[in-house]
Amino acid sequence: MSAVLPSSSPRALGPARRSGASPSPVLAVLRLQAVKRFETWATPLVVLLLGLVFTVLLVLVVWRATGEGPGSPTLAEVGRGTQVAVPWLVGYLVYNGVQSVGTTFPLALALGTARRAFAVGTLLHHARVAAWVAVAVLAVRGVEVVTGGWWAGLHLLGGAALGGGDPVRLVVTVLLASLVAMSVGGAFAAVWLRGGARAAGAAGAALGLLVGAAALVLVAAAPDLAGAFRVWWLAVAAVVVTAAGAAVQVVALRGASVR
Amino acid sequence: MTTTDPAVSVRGVGRRLGGVQALQDVSFDLPAGAVCGLLGRNGAGKTTLMAVVAGHDRPDAGEVAVHGERPFENPAAAGLVSMVRDDQRYPDDFHLAHLLRVGPLFHAGWDAQLAEEVVDVFRIPAKPQLRKLSRGQSSAVGILVGLASRAPVTVLDEPTLGLDAPSRQAFADLLVRDLAARPRTVLVATHLADELEGLLDRVLVLDGGRLVRDAALEDLQGSASVVLGPVEAVERATADVGVLASRRVGGFLERVVEEPGGSARAAEDPALQVRRAGLQELVAALGAGPGPAATPRPDRLTEVSR
Repeated sequence: MSAVLPSSSPRALGPARRSGASPSPVLAVLRLQAVKRFETWATPLVVLLLGLVFTVLLVLVVWRATGEGPGSPTLAEVGRGTQVAVPWLVGYLVYNGVQSVGTTFPLALALGTARRAFAVGTLLHHARVAAWVAVAVLAVRGVEVVTGGWWAGLHLLGGAALGGGDPVRLVVTVLLASLVAMSVGGAFAAVWLRGGARAAGAAGAALGLLVGAAALVLVAAAPDLAGAFRVWWLAVAAVVVTAAGAAVQVVALRGASVR
Repeated sequence: MTTTDPAVSVRGVGRRLGGVQALQDVSFDLPAGAVCGLLGRNGAGKTTLMAVVAGHDRPDAGEVAVHGERPFENPAAAGLVSMVRDDQRYPDDFHLAHLLRVGPLFHAGWDAQLAEEVVDVFRIPAKPQLRKLSRGQSSAVGILVGLASRAPVTVLDEPTLGLDAPSRQAFADLLVRDLAARPRTVLVATHLADELEGLLDRVLVLDGGRLVRDAALEDLQGSASVVLGPVEAVERATADVGVLASRRVGGFLERVVEEPGGSARAAEDPALQVRRAGLQELVAALGAGPGPAATPRPDRLTEVSR
C-alpha cells in the first residue's frame, strides 16, 4: 500500500476568519437549537393547522351525512370529540424536546461546548418555542373567532380546556402545556444520554408507577377533590413538572458522556 | 503556560465501559504542533481515548489536560478541542448548510473559506440530511469540522474511512497545507497506518486499552523487522530475540522481531528474507501479540517509551 503524501507543497493561507464566534456559549447553543428555522418556528404552526383542517373535514362529513348545519349541537359535539390539533401539537413538542437534547447534545459537544451552557441554552430554547407556540395559537384562535368558527360555528380552540374563549387563559394554558411537553421530552432524552435506553425505560416505568400510585391514593378522595378543584391547580402542576424536567435535564447532562 | 508545555497531557487514565476496561493506566504527552497517529485494532480503546481527550467522556482514573485545562465540563476548554466521531449523531433534518452556519458560533478560528473548499473537494452533497450521508461523505464532514474549526487540538476519528483514493489524497494535501499555514496539534485515529504515515511525526499504539507504544515515528520505523523463511531456519535465527508476532503458512514462518538486534542473525542466513517492518505490520504485530511459536517478551510488549 502506498503512503498518501501531499502532492503539492504547502503554501500559506490567508488569515483565518476569527469574527464569527458567538460571544456567549449559551447564545451559541440557542442559535444551534434554532438553526433549522422552518422546523423550529413554522412546523408547530403547520401541525396545529393540519389538526384543525382534519377536524373541520370530519365535521363537514358529518354535516353532509346528517344534514345538520352550522351551530347544531351534533356538529359542535363532533368538533369537540375530534379536536386533534392540540394533542398533535403537544406530541410534536414532546418530539421536539427529545430531539433538542438527544441528538443535538452530541453535535454540540462535537462542535465544542460545555454541558452547563448546553443545558441552559436548551431550556431557554424550550421557553422561547413555548412562547411562540402560545402566541401562534392565540393568533389562530383570532382567525377562528373572525371566521365565525371556521364558517361552521366550530370553536375548536375555544373549549373549556383551552380557557373557554378567554385569550389570557388560552395563552397561559398553551404556554404551560408546551413547556411541559418539551421539558418532559428533554428530560427523557437527557436520562437516555446519561444512562442509556435502560435508564430511560426505567425512568418511564418509575413515572408510570408514580402516577398510578398517586391515583390509587387519591381515588378515595376524588369526589371531594373534584368539588374543590380549581384550574390554577393544573397551572401549578405544570410549573412543577416543567421545573422537575428542567432539573433532570441539568443534572443528567452534567455527567453525560458521548461514547 | 509555556511553549514547552504539552498540548495534551494524559496521566494514568483508566476508563471502564460496562464490563470492559476500555482504557488502563494510559499516560502520554503530545507536544504542541505534533501530528500524532493513534493506532490499534478495533476495540483497542482509540475512540474512548479520543473522547476523553475531547471532553466527550471522563476518565474513571487519572487526569487529562488540554493546554493545561481539564477538558471535561470546563468552559475554558470547550473551544480548545474539535472532534467529530466517526459515528457522529446529527439532529433530524440537519443539513450541510446548517452545519456551516453553526460551526463559526463555537470556534473563533473557524475558516468559512476553508470549509467551502472542503465541501467542493470532497463533493459533500447539500441536499441529504447529514445523518443519511454515505460512510465516505460522513468522513468528509468530519474532516470539514476538524480542519475548518482550527481548534488548537484537532481530533480526527478515522478521517479516511470510506473515502476513495483521490479523496484520501486530497485529505492529506489539505491537512499538510493547512497545518503549514496554521500549526496546531492533531490526534488522528486510523486503521490505514501506512497510508497516513507520511503525515505523522508521533505514534501511539493501543492494545486492549493499554498504551503499548508511544514513540516518534522515526524511532518506530526502525524498531522492528520481518524475518521470513523455512520454519526451522526462522526459529533458529530468532530463538533469543524479542518476537512481536508469528505467522506460519505451510512450511514457512514469518516473524516480526524487535530491533535492534532482532534480525542480526537472520541477515547472515541466505535462506531467510529480512526487511524492515512497515508501520501497519508493526501495529498489527503489537495488537496480535506473539504467535504460538514465538518467544514472547511481555515486559517489552507492554513497554511504553516516554
